[in-house]
Parts: sequence; structure tokens; C-alpha cells
Amino acid sequence: MDIAVGTTLDRYVILAYFAIVMGFGAYFGKYSKTTSDYFFGGRRFAWWLISISIVATGVGSHSFVKYSTKAYQYGLSSTMTYMNDWFFIPLFMFGWLPIIYYTRVRSIPEYFERRFNRTARYLATMMTLLYMIGYIAIQFLTLATALYRIYGIPLMMTVILIAIATTVYMHFGGQTSVIFTDLFQGLILIFAGLLLFFLGIQYLGDHTAFSGLQAFWMNLSPQEKLPLAHFNHPPDFNFVGIFWQDGIAGSVGFLFLNQGLIMRFMAAKSVNEGRKAAAFNVLLILPISAIVVSNAGWIGRAISNALPGVLPDGLAANDVFVAVTNVVSAPGVFGFIIAALCAALMSTADTLVNASSAIIVNDIYRPLAKKAKSEKRELELARWTSIAVKVIAVILVPFFNSFDSIYEAHGWFHSTFTPPLVVGVFLGIFWKRFTAPAVIATFVVGAFLMILGQFIPELISPFSHGIELRPGRGYTYIGALYNLVVCASVGVIVALFTKPDSEEKLYGLTIFDVHKLKSIYKGSPVNEEKGKNALVKWKVKDTDNNVIRFSKSDMDLMKALPGDLVYVQDSRWWLGGLKSAHSTFGEPHNEDGVAYINSMHLDHGQFVEAYQLKAEKEM
Amino acid sequence: MEFANTWLPFIYLYGVGGIAFVLGMLLILRTKALRVSFERDKKWLWVLIYGFLFYAGLHATFILLAIGSY
Repeated sequence: MDIAVGTTLDRYVILAYFAIVMGFGAYFGKYSKTTSDYFFGGRRFAWWLISISIVATGVGSHSFVKYSTKAYQYGLSSTMTYMNDWFFIPLFMFGWLPIIYYTRVRSIPEYFERRFNRTARYLATMMTLLYMIGYIAIQFLTLATALYRIYGIPLMMTVILIAIATTVYMHFGGQTSVIFTDLFQGLILIFAGLLLFFLGIQYLGDHTAFSGLQAFWMNLSPQEKLPLAHFNHPPDFNFVGIFWQDGIAGSVGFLFLNQGLIMRFMAAKSVNEGRKAAAFNVLLILPISAIVVSNAGWIGRAISNALPGVLPDGLAANDVFVAVTNVVSAPGVFGFIIAALCAALMSTADTLVNASSAIIVNDIYRPLAKKAKSEKRELELARWTSIAVKVIAVILVPFFNSFDSIYEAHGWFHSTFTPPLVVGVFLGIFWKRFTAPAVIATFVVGAFLMILGQFIPELISPFSHGIELRPGRGYTYIGALYNLVVCASVGVIVALFTKPDSEEKLYGLTIFDVHKLKSIYKGSPVNEEKGKNALVKWKVKDTDNNVIRFSKSDMDLMKALPGDLVYVQDSRWWLGGLKSAHSTFGEPHNEDGVAYINSMHLDHGQFVEAYQLKAEKEM
Repeated sequence: MEFANTWLPFIYLYGVGGIAFVLGMLLILRTKALRVSFERDKKWLWVLIYGFLFYAGLHATFILLAIGSY
């Protein structure tokens, strides 16, 4: 089928978009002074900034193609995967999030070493890196597939150009650049997706007997209006398979193992801000994202039902996103919506590249380096590894291009790399009896049994819930249930036959110690007395200690004592904590309304003299 | 529309998913990861319950609307 490839105006719109994002991201490079800044953004941001930037991370360029395809074929049930993440939110918010934040773990593999041993860390490092770099390659491929048709540049050249574009802003900015460009790109994504929905509804209203949303709703069949797919049919899109693949393995994988997402939450100024970001994201942003990525397919289906012949005969479901965009939007708007596709790619790729680079520095370089290296050297290394990660991802693109579809390549990744890690981290956090030999057996024997299941699909049949076995192609999603069961079984059996770790070794690393984590983090008893925030001017007074000093009355207002932890930020709320610093309360002075900071705080927070600071006691 | 198309997926989703949710809630309460004696944690408890009911209600509403238009 021949589909539109855009006009000259569309091409300029896309180029302009790339230029804006690169400039925007490069600007934030000045906020990355240390590896902590580079990877975690200095743990300073407000929940709303984290939450919106997560949208752009979760919605990849493949999402538009993948979900609009399913939406065109099956209707509203394409939203299933975006609406089944709440079940594990309690364990994430009150289990995993405080553990990673307060224990200052820098990566998922590092948690595996602390909780189990170094072998577990290396195995986790290898699997996580393979997963993330492959994921980046898939993102490059998806966008290049769309763009090379618009610009007529060869596919691999398009891949390289996209990789260079994301490098420009990431190389200097790290996590802070990623967060701010993702905030911008997240808003663009949502706006463009909703704009497409609005234009589609308007188009249906103009060309059918109904108007507004009614035109959309009345032109879908009852089955296409159902929010959940048929229980076990057809094999390539059924409820129960997708529930286990995405609702269970995918949700746990995304919340507990996605290094990019974890780093985003660790960039929050506090655990409570991270919780707010998670709740807001899952309750409000995910349902909106489901509309954003699916609506081209729904509109396409409604147009096909009401106005046969408008969409080309024999339209491949994979092409529906571009075809519908072309039908309902004008030149320039088409370019803007394709720019949103670019936003999806760049924002997902930058997060994963930053995360991969964090793992290489933290889990390969640091453990192997004989002597501790300076922050400057490590920061430099982090920047160069992010380039190396992209080069490897570009090299992998032809491999993924050999799959029948991007959807299949993506599914292969999830089913192969997620289950052993999911079982390892989940049992590690919630079961004290889970041991190092058990997690290694989960990775090695579990992975072997999973591969066996791919070659002998009959092994998966007992878990199939009546889903038809396709000759020569096996099961699709329900394989995740088999994978989880074999990995968990291996892990549990080995754990029961090995000696459990001591309480001392597990201290602070399982959910059973979460209530003690604040005091572990602070290093002294926690001050839970509720005070008010103080608005103060600031002066630089260099001292030997890393403390910020306030007047006695300001400390009384905050109910703070010397030694408590304090967070100060520029009083302009809309900066979202960009200009901020964490420190400790020093001994009080007598100058009311003034905070004495040192040059390190000033350098880190980039405070502006004209603006006051808002100070709050953390604990 | 057959049961396997409408309410069976719903029951399975909030049955099996509900078990995961309830076990998670019990675990965070019993380990004191969430302490209802803290005002802020108490608010979170309600948010967590609300989130579960919100999604269940949203799915149920769309199933009823789809059945109603059959």
C-alpha cells in the first residue's frame, strides 16, 4: 500500500523539532557536576516533573505503531496493557522505592550484590545491559523505519543520524537533561496524541450522521467497545496471555527492574515525592497515554466501519497510524505528529542510554577498577560510555530488522530477559529465605528451562488457559506464565535447600526493614515532628562542615534540630527543584530569615541572588 | 456477546490481580512499611484503595456500556 510520506513543510517541522530538543537538552549540562548529578539528577526534583517525564520514557516510538495496530484490529481493548499496573503499586511505593532510595543503591545489579553476592550482580548486569541496549536498537529501528520514508535517506543512515541527535544533548547533560527534555517531549507527545484524537473525531463528525464523540462511539461495534480482550482467543491477542505477559511480568519488570525508571524515581527530592509521581502517573497519565497511543487505530476502525473506501483497500494494520494521521490532518500537522513519534523515540532512548551508562560505570568499571577514580574521571567515562552504548545499539539494528515485525522483536526481548530478573528481585525483596545460590539458579537454570519452552511449546500447554497452540509458532504471551513459574520454582527449591543469609547481611535490603530505613539513611534517630517550611534569604559562608545554618526561630518554625536533614530550593515552584540542594542543619545563628550556605551548595544549586530559598526539614 | 468476552476477563483481572494487590497491602501493613498511625501514610492507604476501585470501576463501566450498545 502506498501511504503519504509528508510534504516539505512536514520535513521542516520535524527538523525544527530535533533542533529545539538538542538545544534544550544541552542547556541543562551545567547542572551535571558529579556522577550523582549525571545519573540521578542530584536527587532534587518535584513529583510533577518526575511524573510527566516518565510519560515520555514509557511511551516509546514503537508504542504508537504497536497499539494503534491492535486498536485498529480489536478496538478499545488495546488499552489493556496501560491499565493493569495498579496491582503492584503498594509494593513498589512502600517496599522497593524506599529500599533503593534510602540504601543509596545506584543500580539494580548493585542491589543484587548487596542482597546476594557479586556473581549475582554480574549476571544481573549482563542481562540488564543486553535488555536495555537491545531495547534502544528497537527504538532506533522503529523511528528510522518511519523517517527514512519521509526523507528518502537510507535506513541505516537514518538510524545513525538519530543516534547522533540524541547524543548531542545527552553527552553533557545526563539525567538532568533527560528529565527536562522528557518533560518537554512528554507534553508534546500527549498534546500531539490528543490532537490526533480530536481531529479524528472532527473528521467523523463532518462525514457521518453523528457529531462529536457520538460519531466515534456509534461507529464502533459493541465488541470493539469492550475494554478487555476475549479471554483466550485469538492466539495473537487474548486477555489471559496479555495479563500474564504484561500485567504481571511486564508490570513488575517495569516498576522494579527498569533501570531508567528507577533512576528517574531516585532523582526525586524525597521518597514521598517519588510516591506522588508514581500514583499520579498510574492513575492519570497512563490512561491518557493509552488514548494517545491507541486513538489512531480506533479512529481508523470507526472510519472503516462508517466510510468504506476512505482508508486504502488492504490497509496493513501496521500502517494505520500513518494512514489515519494523513487522512485527518493537514500538512504541517502531519509533520508535528511525526515529530511526536520522534519525541517518543528520543525520550525512551535517552533514558535507556543514561541507565546503561550508569550500569557500565557502577557495575563493571567501579568493581573492576583497582583504585577509586576521581568524580571528574568517572563523569567523563559516563559520557563516553553513553556514546559506546549507542554505537552497539546501532550495530544491533540489522539483527532486529530481520524479525517479521517490531512487535515480535519487542515481545522476544520481554519474554527472554524479564522473568528471571523479575523473580530474582521480587523474591529478594519480599522473602528473606531467598539465597544467593537460589538467585543464580534462577538466572541460569530458569533461563535454560525458558529456552527449552521456546523449542518445545508443549511444555507451556499446561499453562495455556485454552489458548490455541499455533503450529510452528508456539504460544505468544502466555509463555510468560510458564517462564515465571519455572524461574520461581527453581529459585524456591534451591532456596529451601540452602542456608539462609544472616539478619545482619539482609539489614535494610528487604521490605521487613523498610520502617528502619530512614534512620539508616540519616545515620541517627529520625525527627518526625511536623514543622512548617521557612522562606529565607541566603549568604555564602564557607565552613569546614557540609551544613546549612538557620536562625533559632527559623529552626523552631521547621521543628528542626542540628544534625537533621534539610532540603533547600529556589522559591520559584515551577523550577521543580532544579535549583536546590540537600544538606544537614548546623548550629543555629541569630540572623532571622537568612540561611548560611557554603560554596558547594551554591555550585550544586545554582541559586540566584534575587530569589529566596524555601527550606524544609526532611527528617 | 459471550461471557468470555465480557465479564470473565474482568473477574480474572480483578481476581488474580486482586490477590496480588491484597497480599501486597497486607505485607506493607504487617511489616510497618506503611504505618496507619502516621497521618501521611493513612492518606496513602486510601489512595491505594481508591486506585484499585478506580480501575475496576472504569473497566466495569466500559463493559456495561459495550453490552448496552449490543
